[in-house]
Amino acid sequence: MHEIGVRETVQFAGLTFNWETLVMTWICMAICLIIAVLATRNLKMVPTGTQNVVEALIVWLREQVATNLGPKGDFLCPLIVTLFLFLIVANWWGLVPTMASPTNDLNTTFGLALLIVLIVHVLGLYMKGMHYIKHFFQPFPIFVVINVIEEVAKPITLAFRLFGNILAGEILIIILLKLVPIWMPIPSVIWLAFSIFIGGVQAFIFTSLSMAYLANAVKDSEE
Amino acid sequence: MIDINATLLAQMLNFLLLVILLRVVAYKPIVKMLKEREERIADSIKKADDDAAAAEATLKQYQDQLAGARVKAQEIIDKAEKRTREDHEASMQTTRAEIDQMKHAAQQEIQRERALAVEKLKGQVAALSIAAAEKIVSKNIDAAENEALIKEFIDQLDKDKIGDLPC
Repeated sequence: MHEIGVRETVQFAGLTFNWETLVMTWICMAICLIIAVLATRNLKMVPTGTQNVVEALIVWLREQVATNLGPKGDFLCPLIVTLFLFLIVANWWGLVPTMASPTNDLNTTFGLALLIVLIVHVLGLYMKGMHYIKHFFQPFPIFVVINVIEEVAKPITLAFRLFGNILAGEILIIILLKLVPIWMPIPSVIWLAFSIFIGGVQAFIFTSLSMAYLANAVKDSEE
Repeated sequence: MIDINATLLAQMLNFLLLVILLRVVAYKPIVKMLKEREERIADSIKKADDDAAAAEATLKQYQDQLAGARVKAQEIIDKAEKRTREDHEASMQTTRAEIDQMKHAAQQEIQRERALAVEKLKGQVAALSIAAAEKIVSKNIDAAENEALIKEFIDQLDKDKIGDLPC
């Protein structure tokens, strides 16, 4: 159990890193890769076990991408699948005793949100060119102020929503364990179950919103 | 607690690395497999449709053959019946002809027998006439007695029923 709000940092090449976040992220990445390897180790025409689960996930997210982003967004499927898988593993990893979610660090969530927004703008410029820039000035040039605020708000809301939910969940688990005697585990168990639910929902929300933002850049405006 | 530092960049790189790795390890093979399965299912459905069509065609062929066989069987039965009827008719005709022939023969026989009988009768009548004549001649007293004699003779003839034979 770590002290709430205090992060162990390491210095590397003159830069500061949150060591715990990095380690937890690597563990979560490893879990994602293990799941992926388990699912694809022995691919069968009739899926069973892990293959079935991962396949269902990929099929479901591909459908989401197809409906939101259209056929042009097909190449973004791996990004969306990875985002969802990583977030759900990361969110749930903090529920394992003595472990912490990588997503309880704003650096993780803000990093992901910035990455998404960066991809959105780069793709928008690449696929639509001047038309993409022009749409910030519509319907009147003065709307650029509102549009820019919206664009800035996107990564911030995306990052803080996930960060807040997961950090609050973990903090409350620690607090509940300290407040309630050990022979009375019901509140902790209920909160754990709720945190599992929240972890899934937040991963889904983050992924859905990312898809919606990407759709802005990728989808043809006529569609 | 919410201090931003170089971890942010590290997390971005971590995530991009994970995207690339998962794409290679999981996404590509699974999508490839999904496509293969889709193709296989489409093939299977097409094959099933083809099989059903073939089965339908075979069934129709069999039904046609069955109907043909039924018609042929009916033909054979009809032919057999016809032949039986013809045979029956022929045998009837033969029988009838035989009967006719037998009848004819019988009639001829009867005719012949009658002729024979008449011939015999004639002979007897002649003999009797001679006998009667002898009696008349030996006892020729008067006409009245003659008449009585002849009458008696004829009565005797009636009594013996010689005259009943059809002429």
